[in-house]
Amino acid sequence: MMKRTLTLLVALWLVGLYSGQAQAQTPEAMQKVLTAAHKNLIEIDLSYRGDRIYFFGVQPVPNTDLVIKLTAQKSETIKLSIKGKVGPFWMAVKQYEVTGAPFVYKIHTQKPLSQIISPATAQELELGYASIRHQMKMHLLRGKASPDDQDTLFNGLIKLKEKLNLYNIVEDPKRLQVTEGQLFKHYFKFPPAASEGKYLVESFCFDKGELVGYGKDVIEIKKVGIENWLTSTSQNSPLFFGIMAVIVALVVGLGVGMIFKKGGH
Amino acid sequence: MEIYLPIAGMSINFFLVIGIGALVGFLSGLFGVGGGFLLTPLMMMIGIPAPVAAASDSNQIVAAASSGAYAHWRLGNVDIKMGIIILSGGVAGGTVGVQLVHYLRGIGNFEFVMKVVYVLMLGLIGGAMFIESLRAIRRSQRQVATPAVEGVPTPKHGTLFSKLPLKMDFHRSGLKNTSAIFPFLIGMAVGILAALLGVGGGFIMVPAMIYVIGMPTIVAIGTDLFQIVLSCANVTLQQAWVNKTVDLLLALILLFGSTIGAQFGALASKRLKGEQIRILLAIIVLAMAVKLFVDLVVEPSLLVSIAPGKGGH
Repeated sequence: MMKRTLTLLVALWLVGLYSGQAQAQTPEAMQKVLTAAHKNLIEIDLSYRGDRIYFFGVQPVPNTDLVIKLTAQKSETIKLSIKGKVGPFWMAVKQYEVTGAPFVYKIHTQKPLSQIISPATAQELELGYASIRHQMKMHLLRGKASPDDQDTLFNGLIKLKEKLNLYNIVEDPKRLQVTEGQLFKHYFKFPPAASEGKYLVESFCFDKGELVGYGKDVIEIKKVGIENWLTSTSQNSPLFFGIMAVIVALVVGLGVGMIFKKGGH
Repeated sequence: MEIYLPIAGMSINFFLVIGIGALVGFLSGLFGVGGGFLLTPLMMMIGIPAPVAAASDSNQIVAAASSGAYAHWRLGNVDIKMGIIILSGGVAGGTVGVQLVHYLRGIGNFEFVMKVVYVLMLGLIGGAMFIESLRAIRRSQRQVATPAVEGVPTPKHGTLFSKLPLKMDFHRSGLKNTSAIFPFLIGMAVGILAALLGVGGGFIMVPAMIYVIGMPTIVAIGTDLFQIVLSCANVTLQQAWVNKTVDLLLALILLFGSTIGAQFGALASKRLKGEQIRILLAIIVLAMAVKLFVDLVVEPSLLVSIAPGKGGH
């Protein structure tokens, strides 16, 4: 009886110890990094050409290393094609379905991420491009797989996303400015390709590689007015949208023809 | 001034789009061609995704051709019977074409196939125009020296397709005992091209109507515009329904630009010599064919391309 009670107590202690450690590693359990965005809503209207949001914050522990991450809350499934040479032409020769790659992924730091945290911590907190690779799941849809496909797809995806300004990693003290060791400010550019949805801005504070503070902001992008109506109608009522596109074109075409006497065609 | 295109999902300079519409409209007015075959590749060159460029161009053509079709219809230049046969081919071809676009997008090769067809088409059109313009220039030089003598090409109808079944009379075109099969098939071929490339197809249809079927030129033009409006309306509807790629806002901006450009083109055509200018258009068309061909054969900077999958953002 005594032996069984002792075993139970040891087991409980171990569980407590483990859960305590796990809690210590959870970003939400850290001291709060107080942050504020100059706005939390981006509205896509007719003249939208991307937006820039400024963030301000206070580190809970002075002179720590900051890492700020921007991601989209929703995940996406994409098809990535790899081009190859067929005769004289370059065309898609194989295709993969890829899940787990974030739609948007941006990081701001004052110095190289590798000098702030270990690879294990980076992977655990999904910081850095290497962590994206770890999350990505690839499934061959068409063509013949080869061993270097994973590298080709990962590097290609990063380049594609960087070209659209949906991914980037900026390790520059000018971009992430810290005043008096505690107050910080920076901005994220939201490109036109960043579609509707909620985006998460997470602020991590590290002291000698250990996470000591965490904060987050949510930014929402949504279409408004005619942009919202056109998008939702085309997606939710495509037949109606098609009929409307034809009728509008006929009415405008005939109207313009009447104005100019001759048609543009 | 930037404008956000909701279906293309991108922001683009408003004046650049207007400018492209105006340029193509100017060339249309100058040469009397539709210009759809120039508009889609130009839109792709400024970064508009190929499926959106093709579908929105079809939408724009509905608007651009409608007033001309209406005017010809009022003047009695539309052979309704012939138009309906060609149109039924166009609707069948357009429906097949939209499904083909859907399939090709799914396997990631829509842009490749589109560019190959464009290279062939622009190469043939540009080449034919170039040769024809050179001949016309030489002819006019000879005519200065010796006023005379070359005739207008005669229609070849009744030779190649006289043995086909489903013969009927087309009173407005003055055709008797003519098979409906060729008009249907040419309508179908142009319908597929309309969906794949976003073109009206007048550059194929009008010569086929005049030289192969044997229709009078003015009736061929009127009937072509009639079928273009309805065939492109079908393609627009199906692209919106199946592929969700019609950007109405883009189509309207292009229409605005092309309408203005066409007025200046029509004015310019009265002041400039046709043959020399036609050579210029031939060179523009050939240059675009070369540009697209180079895109196909030069190793791309990125070997990976992206397409939305199921579910999604």
